[in-house]
Amino acid sequence: MRYVVLMCLLLTSTYLFSQDRTVTGMVTSSEDGQGIIGATVSVKDNPNQGTATDEEGYFSLTVSSNNDILVFSYVGMTTQEIEVGNQTEINLVMSPEASLINEIVVIGYGTEKRSKVNAAVSVITSDEITQTPVLRVEQALQGRSAGVTVTQNSGSPGSTLSVRIRGAGSLSASDPLYVVDGIPVEGLDFLNANDIESISILKDAAASAIYGSRGANGVVLITTKSGDFEKEGEITYDGYYGIQSPWKKMNLLNAREYAIIQNEAFINAGQIPRPEFQNPDVLGVGTDWQDAIFENAPISSHNIRMSGGGKKSNFTVSGGYFQQDGIVGGEKARFNRYTARLNADFKVKDWLTVGTNVGFTNLQRSAIPENNEFATPLVRALNIDPTTPVYKADGTYAYSRYADTDIANPVNQIDLTYDTWTSNRVVGSIFGKFDFTKDISLRSTYSVDATFATQDIFLPRFNLSNDPDLRDAPAHEIRDVNVVILNNNTWTANQFENVLSYNKTFNDVHKLSVDLGNTVLSRTYRGSGGSNTNLPSNDPEDAFISNTIDPLESQGAFEVGEEETLLSYFGRVNYGYDGKYILTAIMRTDGSSKFGPDNRFGYFPSFSFGWLASEENWDLGIVTFLKLRTGWGRNGNDRIPNYGYYTVVNSGQNYSFGNNETITNGSVPLTIANPELQWETIEQFNVGVDMELWNGKVTVTSDYFIKNTKDMLYNPPIPATVGAAAPFRNVASMRNNGIELAVTYRDKIGDFSYDIGGNITKISNEVTALGSGAEPATAGNVTFHGGNVTYTDVGLPLGSFFGYVTDGIFQNGEEVAAHAFQAAATAPGDIRFKDLNDDGVIDQNDRTVIGNPNPDFSYAFTTNFKYKDFDLNIFFQGVSGNDIYNASVRYDLAFSNRPNSILDRWTGEGTSNSEPRVSLSDPNFNSRASDRFVEDGSYLRLKNIQLGYTLPESVMQRMKIKNLRFYVSSNNLFTFTKYSGFDPEIGAYGGVLAAGIDRGFYPQARSFIGGLQLTF
Amino acid sequence: MKKKLNIILLTSMFFLMGCGDDFLDKSPIIGDTSENFYQSEEDARAAVNAAYASLQYELTPAGHFRWFWGDVMSDDSQKGGSGDNDAFGLLLLETFQGQANDEHIASEWTASFEGIYRANVVLENIPNIDMDETIKSQVLGEARFIRSYFFFNLVTMFGDVPKADHVLAPSEYSMPRSPASEIWDIIIDDLTQAIDVLPLRSELSSNEIGRITKGAARGLLTKAYLWNRNYLMAEQTANDIIISGEYMLADDYASIFTTAGENGPGSVFEVQYMNASGGNWGYNAQNEGTFTNVFQRARGQFNGYGFNLPTQDLVDEFFAENPNVEDPRLSATLFRVGDEMGDRGVFTKEATGGFPHDYYPKKYFDNQSETAPFGDPNPNGGSNDRVIRYADVLLMHAEAAYHNNNEGPARTSLNLVRERARGGNASILPDVTASGQALLDAIYHERRVELAMEGHRFFDLVRTGRAATVLGPLGYQDGVHNLFPIPESQILVTNGAITQNPGY
Repeated sequence: MRYVVLMCLLLTSTYLFSQDRTVTGMVTSSEDGQGIIGATVSVKDNPNQGTATDEEGYFSLTVSSNNDILVFSYVGMTTQEIEVGNQTEINLVMSPEASLINEIVVIGYGTEKRSKVNAAVSVITSDEITQTPVLRVEQALQGRSAGVTVTQNSGSPGSTLSVRIRGAGSLSASDPLYVVDGIPVEGLDFLNANDIESISILKDAAASAIYGSRGANGVVLITTKSGDFEKEGEITYDGYYGIQSPWKKMNLLNAREYAIIQNEAFINAGQIPRPEFQNPDVLGVGTDWQDAIFENAPISSHNIRMSGGGKKSNFTVSGGYFQQDGIVGGEKARFNRYTARLNADFKVKDWLTVGTNVGFTNLQRSAIPENNEFATPLVRALNIDPTTPVYKADGTYAYSRYADTDIANPVNQIDLTYDTWTSNRVVGSIFGKFDFTKDISLRSTYSVDATFATQDIFLPRFNLSNDPDLRDAPAHEIRDVNVVILNNNTWTANQFENVLSYNKTFNDVHKLSVDLGNTVLSRTYRGSGGSNTNLPSNDPEDAFISNTIDPLESQGAFEVGEEETLLSYFGRVNYGYDGKYILTAIMRTDGSSKFGPDNRFGYFPSFSFGWLASEENWDLGIVTFLKLRTGWGRNGNDRIPNYGYYTVVNSGQNYSFGNNETITNGSVPLTIANPELQWETIEQFNVGVDMELWNGKVTVTSDYFIKNTKDMLYNPPIPATVGAAAPFRNVASMRNNGIELAVTYRDKIGDFSYDIGGNITKISNEVTALGSGAEPATAGNVTFHGGNVTYTDVGLPLGSFFGYVTDGIFQNGEEVAAHAFQAAATAPGDIRFKDLNDDGVIDQNDRTVIGNPNPDFSYAFTTNFKYKDFDLNIFFQGVSGNDIYNASVRYDLAFSNRPNSILDRWTGEGTSNSEPRVSLSDPNFNSRASDRFVEDGSYLRLKNIQLGYTLPESVMQRMKIKNLRFYVSSNNLFTFTKYSGFDPEIGAYGGVLAAGIDRGFYPQARSFIGGLQLTF
Repeated sequence: MKKKLNIILLTSMFFLMGCGDDFLDKSPIIGDTSENFYQSEEDARAAVNAAYASLQYELTPAGHFRWFWGDVMSDDSQKGGSGDNDAFGLLLLETFQGQANDEHIASEWTASFEGIYRANVVLENIPNIDMDETIKSQVLGEARFIRSYFFFNLVTMFGDVPKADHVLAPSEYSMPRSPASEIWDIIIDDLTQAIDVLPLRSELSSNEIGRITKGAARGLLTKAYLWNRNYLMAEQTANDIIISGEYMLADDYASIFTTAGENGPGSVFEVQYMNASGGNWGYNAQNEGTFTNVFQRARGQFNGYGFNLPTQDLVDEFFAENPNVEDPRLSATLFRVGDEMGDRGVFTKEATGGFPHDYYPKKYFDNQSETAPFGDPNPNGGSNDRVIRYADVLLMHAEAAYHNNNEGPARTSLNLVRERARGGNASILPDVTASGQALLDAIYHERRVELAMEGHRFFDLVRTGRAATVLGPLGYQDGVHNLFPIPESQILVTNGAITQNPGY
């Protein structure tokens, strides 16, 4: 230490004795050879000693020493540093900024220059994040990075998304770990996209190993905007308003067509058609129930941010308001959010910086029932008969005389839905950074993520009868007793983290950085709730648990709670030699309360190597940057329920005794314990290349990876003889491998600049083991198609669709007789299913894999054009080769409406070979799970197109503003797809094993938006 | 500088050391683990109540309706539902084309073994608890009854089954099937032991109604003896119930199936259900209600699922003694077109959603006013499942006595049932005076009409060897359909250690 101080003194002393002199030169652009006007030239160690180039690109600057380093910088050009030496004239050619290699990448417990990163890491910039109006930040990840697939689990505002980094890595939980400013968080609905500076996605275990047992499915690192030291204060407003509307309707029967089909069904069943349908023509088109439930819904966002900084402190304060209504349900599906954030840093001493990142969110989400085939407004609208009007003559809601139990009036249902989730959440941290020397620092961070959420549900009384006393409405259109439900939830996570960093370059060529850290994390969940019935008032404003007539008989209450802890140590060593070779090694060990004492700690290493080939003394021609990198790493996935290794005695297995029917508690272990429970382990190998051509005009990044999940948690069924549920065991394994490619081309012709970029990902997924003796996992129950429709088995991709194979329509009795036995009442016009095992009977053994919900490719491309003050951004996103299982039509209900494809039904020999005859009872079970319901789910979507206009510099200067931009944009303007349902972008609402099943999917909206961005 | 570094490092080390070993030891906040349970009388009660709870489970993936097997599989009723495809597997089963991968079969198997497991947990953990010995032996007796009840379900449906008479260790998971005779041995042994310790019904306090009694154990034991054609013991055990004086036939037959008739004077064993909030469609849920009510109600205006539709053949049985006189029990058994379906309206085919069915079951019909006034009413039916009624005991007594050549006592028991059914109308249902085969036929007829739609018929036919004659025209074959297929999933998951029944 003493020597360091001495060295500093010596260095300082040399300045004292040096001689001032002048350096001149010219700065030109590599693009056109012309001089650059206004480029900054300064002395590195003394930024105040600087100048700018004149109209021809010349500069003149006084320097004090041969050791001085001149920094040349200009917007859009790569900053360069030149040591003065004994030169008096320095002429420099500047190249456009090659963003890929120079951008600073957040890599987890640190940052690194892109060119020095060995692992597969994608970065999404704040412009990209806010280009489309996103409610949840996960949406902003879609299409922005190769290897990252994002699908909406629903189009309703605020619903979750499936985010898969390099495919699903687990049978249970495959969502990545989200880390916001160093704080691991669950779910991103609390975060305002406008507050985000950048997002880094650690795709590769070589990078994510630093997150150990929680990084198996990749890590999304989100950094919020902070202020800069010594920067003038700035106020930015960013806001938009837009209208969303449905972009597609399904083609259903109108009233006349419905009556025709119904009549035919009755006749085919040997029954007399309904008298009121005798003359279908008089029924006209009837009710369009889709029009009745869809609406145009507003979306709006307002954000204001103030930031600035002095010598010792900087800050950013922001506030945001976001509101989005649903295109189904309107304000009953509204998402409302207020956010406030303060990020600030203070230099307390020259060796101590403290700071805070705190965000507060208040959000409210109202939700209507969705994504199931039984009793949601969307399914009801698709299936209720078109002869029923929405309203009776007196303006009250009408009921259908024909629809069955599940299919009630959907508009009434929406009206009667009161289900609101209100959440207050604080995610914040305070940190201190101690700079012991210029090489060694310690950063200590304490963070809290606390959520307080309440769900209020009210089920009002109603009766759609024409005469309420007669109760002529079917029972599902009457609710005699109202119900109120209240649930309270508290999640808290406390984390204390210390990272010690050491950075040093030896002999100019050996660059060493070491990070050592530890984390203590504790999370607690407590929940309680209650319900009550028979409230005197039917007004939702009076819906309180205590507000009831018979409190004791009908009240319910519950309490739940869980806690988990994690103790981790980690280290990273990064060694670079001569700017050419970079070696990174990571080791993390995690101890988790989720596992028994013998299996508590896991070890997660990774190694990676990078070679900057373009730094060698070779002429690579047009290739101005080339880096080859490879890595291997191991991660864990601990996303399993708590207490899995305990034999938990479950209460609530109750029975009622006594004349007064008193409920009496019963307790038994419902699940066999697995004391050997362990993490899922993911090992990933990655090889990649980063390349730039023509000084960054073209950038290419490509990766190939193999990701093996071992010890995957699965509960292979145990014999029922055991009498309790099978525990999760570490028995299964799976492999994902894939290729990712991202290419960008950028150029500038005069005032016109543009870039075109795209990325494409191909991932193959295969289950390689499910444990010995294990049955394939089935999931995705579609009751009225006969059970589970997905199937996961060794050698197949996750959640393949499974069912019968259709083979046309029986045209006549001979064909029925000649074919394998299907059902006693199989008749001409019914579907012929293939007898795959040739045993002469069509039964469950004739089912096979009939589709794959996983896409062959997912891709996206963007183009950004800029001409003078105008900019145009276009963003396409798509997937190819995936299938969707369409379960949105209730073929089991004889009187429900149908897609109008039924008009091409079989009515006699030769009339159709694809659409079966109509029938009341479907005796051949034509609606059994089969390839009839499997459709191509490929789509290409114009996710966003945006046209912007920025006020000219001169005008803005006069108005004393820094920036003012207006824009109009549209989302989901076009979707190209063959899929017949509302929306082809269907996520994994039912979990990893039941993706791609359309149960009346809440579609995403098309929106038109106008916005403005103002900075002054 | 160095000092400062040390201070900071030490400080952070201090924070780290704050986390001792117990930092990672987290047991459940709410709820118990096996280490701290089974220690008090309360725990013993809770453990056996959980075994009781398994009696209530219905639907898949683990549950059972007795009427699926006893009624639908027989000539008394048909599956029903919204159409053939509504529980299609049941249609295959009732037309004797049942498949081994049928989910309802698997559910029955799973639910039965779950009940057995829970009873085994009681039998293994409760003896060690320091508690009132009388209560302890009662709890153990209840567990023995529940275990034998589920073994009874299994052995009568599947024949040979794994003898899981203790909580299985992992090495025993793939336990193969044991001969049915060994299963019957457990049943008879358990019930015999249970009879010794269980209270008489009259010894139960009013808040204990629903707990298993000596009479219930004797009733099930009588049935077990009948299955084993041990008519001497069957008659004796049934007689024990009769002479106990604990039971009598309710005066009004129809009243038995009303809410007021639950746990009535003739109730020997009933599974208790009630309208309770919290019921849902999941298995192992905190579900005190039954789905039977909604499943058996007509569709359409009656808002049921329309299952278990009585056949014309069953209706005809009520006219079998005299084509011109209707057995009054018919109107308590099913609804006919034009009948008032309680407070839910008049039965017209239009009102049932246009279905062509002529009859709907009535014994488990609940009025609109009786449905759960909260949550989803579908799983919250309140009707108790009348598993063993005194009339059943009397008819079993008659049947056993007949085989023991005690025709006098046989006729006495039979005529007690008929007398009640007569409802004071001396012109109908005269006392049976027949003997020999005619007496046996009269007992069989009486069982069919007295116990119609209560889940007995199919098993009565198999037990008495009449199934091939009666159900043969429907496709039944002896040697195959007297047993149900072993769930295919269980054969697979045990790698074939569990074998299939012949003919499947």
